[in-house]
Amino acid sequence: MMPRFLRQALTIARRDLTATVMTPTFLLFLLSPLLMIGFGVIGGLSGQAASSAGEARQQIVVIAPADQRQALQAADRELRSVFTRDSARPRLRIDRAEADPALQARGLFDSDAIEAAAVLYGPLDHPVVLRRSGAEAEGRYLAALAAQTLRAERAGGVRSTPRFETVTREAPTVSGRGQAAYFSTFAIFLVTLMLSGQAVGAMAEERSNKVIEILAAAVPLESVFFGKLLGAFGSALIFVGFWGTLVANLPRLLPGDAAGLLSSLSVAVGPVFPLLLIGYFVMAYLLQSAVFLGVGSLASTQREIQMLSLPITIFQFAMFGMASYAAGNPESWVATVAEVVPFSSPMAMAARAANAPELWPHALAFAWQALWVAMTLTIAARLFRRGVLKSGSPKRAKRAVV
Amino acid sequence: MQDLAVSASGLVKRFGDRRAVDGVGIAVPKGLIYGVLGPNGAGKTTTLRMLLGIIEPDEGERMLLGSRHPRDMSDHVGYLPEERGLYPNMKCREAIAFMGALRGLPWKVGRQRAGELLESAGLGHAADDKIRKLSKGMAQLVQLLGSVVHEPDLLVLDEPFSGLDPVNQERLELLIRGQRDRGATILFSTHVMAHAERLCERISVIAGGKVRFEGTVDAARALLPLRARYTPLQAADGIAAMLPADAVCEEGSWRFTVPEGGIEALLVRLIDAGHGISGLSIERPGLHDAFVRIVGDEALAGQPETIA
Repeated sequence: MMPRFLRQALTIARRDLTATVMTPTFLLFLLSPLLMIGFGVIGGLSGQAASSAGEARQQIVVIAPADQRQALQAADRELRSVFTRDSARPRLRIDRAEADPALQARGLFDSDAIEAAAVLYGPLDHPVVLRRSGAEAEGRYLAALAAQTLRAERAGGVRSTPRFETVTREAPTVSGRGQAAYFSTFAIFLVTLMLSGQAVGAMAEERSNKVIEILAAAVPLESVFFGKLLGAFGSALIFVGFWGTLVANLPRLLPGDAAGLLSSLSVAVGPVFPLLLIGYFVMAYLLQSAVFLGVGSLASTQREIQMLSLPITIFQFAMFGMASYAAGNPESWVATVAEVVPFSSPMAMAARAANAPELWPHALAFAWQALWVAMTLTIAARLFRRGVLKSGSPKRAKRAVV
Repeated sequence: MQDLAVSASGLVKRFGDRRAVDGVGIAVPKGLIYGVLGPNGAGKTTTLRMLLGIIEPDEGERMLLGSRHPRDMSDHVGYLPEERGLYPNMKCREAIAFMGALRGLPWKVGRQRAGELLESAGLGHAADDKIRKLSKGMAQLVQLLGSVVHEPDLLVLDEPFSGLDPVNQERLELLIRGQRDRGATILFSTHVMAHAERLCERISVIAGGKVRFEGTVDAARALLPLRARYTPLQAADGIAAMLPADAVCEEGSWRFTVPEGGIEALLVRLIDAGHGISGLSIERPGLHDAFVRIVGDEALAGQPETIA
């Protein structure tokens, strides 16, 4: 029975997948996030360009005798290594002290040749720092630079040369877990939100083309529904695969510190986490799509299907709300509820994988969710058989025969 | 008793309060072309759908190719539903292969056979055209090919001739005969008597959800007496009195029912009276008349019953 059921479902899935993928619209669908990313990048770039253009011209200036120049430069190099790219200070310029350094320093703020954020002059142990309003940090930096140069001078060649080693924690930090939990919940939510709504209209094509009669005559409705689900899942998988590959390679393209942030999202269950995440995405998709497929199959017009999209989105948000609360509060009763309620279970369980190391609840959860996929499909097929094909349940008929 | 491809007894289907099918029984011997005739809304489609297991009967038993669970045999059945439907974006060849694949035929074999079938049906040029480009009649032929591509033991066709022009009707008849010659059993429903008369070896007449007649076409026609058309040498007043009561004169010819004892005695009297015989024909009434007689005026008047 099972191979036949599966064979029938796969036939339908194959037809659906081909019909979906072999259209220009699918390309649009596949690349639609590109538009979003594109707009984001363009907006970000132009903002950055505007601000960095101003920053690049800014300078901080130290007015000092010529013999301090080298010491100042060395101290500046050391201090700068503390800053990350975003918080870097403007370039340092060292001017030779003239007769009246105070006048010279003030003159720099009026000069057209330079855009000075802050200027330091005077002896290093009692320097005077002039700064533009808004350039408080630059002023403090110059003061720190003076102190550091002075200390280096007094210490007489005593230097600290550190050696850097990167250490990864065996057990992830609590905050890292929380972030990972929320991140995985959100990822599953976002992807299912984008993809599973498609299932609503899956049966509409059959009903409007009257193909349903052919399908229903040839294979059981359960196979039809499961096949439709698989077909929609196939195109979702292409979408996720395409973007997943891109995103997985993203850390390499990102600047170093951002990649570091991503890897700090470490999780409790360890290296199986990506597998669990994929598994829960599959379950979340199948569960929600099964509901939408069933509901959508009962709608008789396009208009009704469109009307359904709002309640569907609200339903998805509600499930996400519950699961994301569970991600933040893994010990709460809401978390338990979210893990048990089948439609929020995949998201909540993905969060749990980030929060708690035990693996057995996941096996249980997969079985539970799979059961619900089957139940949802069966119920959907029953409703369809009754409501659309106008047939009583086979069981009652069998009893009558007996 | 021959092997039966399909049998059923006491099938009942209620839609709400209405009994769309009310105790229908049927027995279709293997290897025959069997017609289910009936007026619109008689319950033909519902009966076929119950026989195929698309819908479950409320009461009654059915056997399809030796199984009490018709769905288990679905790989050996071909079905052309009354509501025709194909995916408009599929190519003909793919559509046929898809329908075969649903019934367990590998796609590759399906595609290959689809090419041959299309060729033999005169649609070879359209094999790679999308369904949406075809005319309605062509699409219907494609769908029919799709329902035979897996070489089913039983072929069920619901109103296969509706919507086809005479040339395509002829093609369809050939195709049905071809399937029968291959060894398949064909069960089809129609309300067009001409096709049933030409094709069917046995028929059932269903009206108002019940079986009104079961047997051969000839047996159905034999239900009505012979009709005669007599033309005298010249019109005369006395003729009407000599002919049976139902005689009607049309353009100098009389049409009437042949009396039970035969027409000879009547002819002798007519000749003796000097009316002579300029023309005479005796006809077996067609299935059409038999059908009208079986179904009855009441059923033809049409209850508000339409069964999808």
